[in-house]
Amino acid sequence: MTPNLQVSLGRLQLRNPVMVAAGTFGYGVEYRDLVDLSQLGAIVTKSLTLTPRMGNPPPRVAETPAGMLNAIGLQNDGVDAFVVETLPRLRAYETPIIASVAGESVEEYVRVAAKLSRAEGVAALELNLSCPNQARGGMEFGVSPELTAQVVAAVRQATPLPLIAKLTPNVGDIVPVAQAAVEAGAEVLCLINTVLGVAVDVRERRFRLATKVGGLSGPAIKPIAQYHLWRVHQALPEVPLVGVGGIGSAEDALEYILLGAHAVQIGTANYVQPTLTLEVIEGIQRYLVDHGIDSLEAIRGVVQ
Amino acid sequence: MMMARYEVAATVVEHQRRAANQYELILHAPPIAQSAMPGQFVMVRPLRTHAPLWRRPYSILRANPDKGVISIFYSVQSTFTELLSLKPIGSTVQVLGPLGTCFQPVRAARRHILAAGGTGVPPLSFFAARLIPTLQPDEQVLILAGARRRDLLVGLDEFRALGAEVRVATDDGSRGYKGYVTDLLAQALEEPIPSAVYACGPNRMLKVVAALCLKHGVPCQVSLDAPMPCGIGVCLGCAVKVRLPDGGVWYKRACTEGPVFRAEEVVWE
Repeated sequence: MTPNLQVSLGRLQLRNPVMVAAGTFGYGVEYRDLVDLSQLGAIVTKSLTLTPRMGNPPPRVAETPAGMLNAIGLQNDGVDAFVVETLPRLRAYETPIIASVAGESVEEYVRVAAKLSRAEGVAALELNLSCPNQARGGMEFGVSPELTAQVVAAVRQATPLPLIAKLTPNVGDIVPVAQAAVEAGAEVLCLINTVLGVAVDVRERRFRLATKVGGLSGPAIKPIAQYHLWRVHQALPEVPLVGVGGIGSAEDALEYILLGAHAVQIGTANYVQPTLTLEVIEGIQRYLVDHGIDSLEAIRGVVQ
Repeated sequence: MMMARYEVAATVVEHQRRAANQYELILHAPPIAQSAMPGQFVMVRPLRTHAPLWRRPYSILRANPDKGVISIFYSVQSTFTELLSLKPIGSTVQVLGPLGTCFQPVRAARRHILAAGGTGVPPLSFFAARLIPTLQPDEQVLILAGARRRDLLVGLDEFRALGAEVRVATDDGSRGYKGYVTDLLAQALEEPIPSAVYACGPNRMLKVVAALCLKHGVPCQVSLDAPMPCGIGVCLGCAVKVRLPDGGVWYKRACTEGPVFRAEEVVWE
């Protein structure tokens, strides 16, 4: 018996629950010689903005215990270059492409979303409401239920595509933000984005990132991400959730599913183990077989 | 077009002691050995640990296509390098490579100056080994090597064995000229021979090298170091500021558009 790994995220159908997280897999094509892209549940692109963005000055990254800080600053070639140059190459794979959308204003989110909706081959949009590495926008939207609702509602008007809102953990209570996103039209919630942090170089006596503050990712944040995911699942049990934060094995991914996630994203681990996604898919399959379980639904959210 | 790169479970052949706490690690990784070019690097992961989390980039010191082996050079000075040093012969480490750009011989030059500062020797040693057999009778290679102290100078015998002239500088004067390798370069560039410079070392040294070459109108290639989480162009962590042909500036990736850059392209800060 081969267990069924298919999952539905609202209108979005995935062959399995393992996706790659925004910003950790380039545009997808960068990995094509190392990973069979057609095996993945979905590919989330790096965040796209209306015009090319140069990103932050270096140093942009710092390794920390079981994790890393980054302050890339959304460096990307802009949405037009993505649509014209990259999307045609991605269409060759049957894997759904989820475009991550970022902006400094509601209008920018809307314009990027509209361009992506007109392009052929985008399966869904993920709204990056929570990137900490911007002077304006990003994080500011994600920390407030009102601003979150404003962006989501505006983008909802501009696109027929399934809409995923990616939430920040850098709030006192994530549930009101989650509720606001859903009420404004997000069909799926993805959580969490990186956790704010700093790191210090004692020899040079300065911050290790040029921007001082960055976003923490990697195994160190898994318990934080799982806490938020579990709380949101308890509050909004009908909303499909995508869990992300510190996944480095099939076991980690299964933990998220047991806490209520429909799907998961692998992020930082792509850097150190490019083929990890395939290992996780295989490991989930093996777990289901070993325990005589025929679908993920049977174990989703059983840890209450 | 992307160059071929390989994810290999490479077998440890030998840890060869080269200086106080410095070792040459010889790895059996045939596809990498067969395609590696001087200046390229590999990403190494000794164990599947969470701390340290990242792989580390290492310039390729040697590649023997016939034996299918490559070597890298490490000094034991961190948790990562301790883990690496403890890998027994016959065990495997994950190695991804070869990655990045390589040194390109400047054929118009009559003298190729290879300037290595501190831990910058490995890619230049590999480059010298591939370059010297291809030289015309009127071409020569000059090695400039600098380190803080005598005991930190490595690989000089190999350069000499290849027939290259070697000039040495140490910060404390314990061997050769007392001062910096860039002082040796400044002197060498005064000699009236059409030269090209290839350099690897700390970024502050490379900045001086680039300025000297610019002043003398000498083509210069530099291998830059940057914190590098992925090594394959996706994380954008290893940003290097460059000047574009249109005069604008942008960040390129040391792992993919580098590590070897044309010095005049880099915006030194």
